[in-house]
Amino acid sequence: MIVRADLHNHSCLSPCASLEMSPSRLAAEARAAGVGVLALTDHNAAFNCPAFAVACAREGIIPLFGMELNPREEAHLLALFAAPRLALEFARRLEPLLPPVPLRPDVLGDEVVVDADENVLELYDLWLGAALDAGFDELARMASDAGGLVIPAHVDRPAMSVYSQLGFLPEGPYDAVESIGPVPRALCGEHAIISGSDAHYPEHVARRPFEIELPDEPAQALRKEQVRFASDCPIGSFAVGDNDDRAHRTDGELMVSMPAKGLARTFAPVSAGAESPLWEALLVLPCVTKYPEGSARDFMESFRAALHEKKVKPTHVSRPLVL
Amino acid sequence: MLLKEIGAIIPGERAGGAAVETEVSGVYTSDLLSDVMAHAQEGQALVTIQAHKNTVAVATLVGLPAIIICNDRELPEDMIESAAQEGIAIFRTALDQYEVSGRLWEAFKQ
Repeated sequence: MIVRADLHNHSCLSPCASLEMSPSRLAAEARAAGVGVLALTDHNAAFNCPAFAVACAREGIIPLFGMELNPREEAHLLALFAAPRLALEFARRLEPLLPPVPLRPDVLGDEVVVDADENVLELYDLWLGAALDAGFDELARMASDAGGLVIPAHVDRPAMSVYSQLGFLPEGPYDAVESIGPVPRALCGEHAIISGSDAHYPEHVARRPFEIELPDEPAQALRKEQVRFASDCPIGSFAVGDNDDRAHRTDGELMVSMPAKGLARTFAPVSAGAESPLWEALLVLPCVTKYPEGSARDFMESFRAALHEKKVKPTHVSRPLVL
Repeated sequence: MLLKEIGAIIPGERAGGAAVETEVSGVYTSDLLSDVMAHAQEGQALVTIQAHKNTVAVATLVGLPAIIICNDRELPEDMIESAAQEGIAIFRTALDQYEVSGRLWEAFKQ
């Protein structure tokens, strides 16, 4: 079957993304645009992956769980995993690499952790847009060793790309390369080229998806299990809290002065660090522990194989590659 | 040194915000924003080729009153808007980072 996929999307956890971009809004917009496989890739973090798992199951979309890594070279890189637990555990290893720059929401925007019902769970307080203290090659290897899909992001963008920062694509364990327009060999090597929306606002969702030809069986098996998973995670199942705090209702008004509600009430202030209670709280949520990891892994491997076989058709914009 | 004096030393155009009488305490030259974040000092002007909005965000965080964009790199509209909002001056010049840094080094020595 041929599926529309979009592997580069931000939620309200990314400081530069709209507060309206809850995981559930993202999934709803994607479904409306006919996207069948959707990834969440917030900057350097995966706290909204649990909500994304539920949101996609409700919408009948197959999710991949990731992040957009910002290495020392400041050339962005997508790392995608089959299940929310795997993404959270990988992102947890990044926390010690994140420089402790306090978030200034007035300058940089808010970083909002939500559940699938748009309850605010937490406001993260370190700037997630900062460069991690690890190199491009090193992060690519880490993600690959952890079983992730590794995809250099928007390689032809005039900023924050391998093109702008390095001028070429270094060799690495990539499963594909994401670009905005057609790119020369120096930027993609022999890898499959995909497009991605890099959506930060609802109107960006599905602006540059790609088509991929996948075997039916792994996708159907996962979809079946997702239906059960969705019924295991009914509305309101993992946040206590007040639905008046819906992220999408803020209409761009900052939440900086709003105390975090819901689960956050029981949290110590988030000051990163591996011992943060936020991690503990997220990793034991039913939407993380009950996720069908086995069939999700099978599906992701079928997706990886299709990428390697280049069974893809990107949506490229035609524009000159100029720096 | 005042912002307007930089304008006299570095040929090119000006955009963004900040009053001409704003004091600039020194210069930092770098093309890696994480490095700017870690090492630039409040009050310095930044010499760089990173012509995009993220540079303005970093300048705001560190407290840099001016950004000097080299090699005539084009300034995206959202960068100019954001700089105007934050009161940060942008100079755009055809000179490269070496030449701009050299001229400013000489000027600050005096």
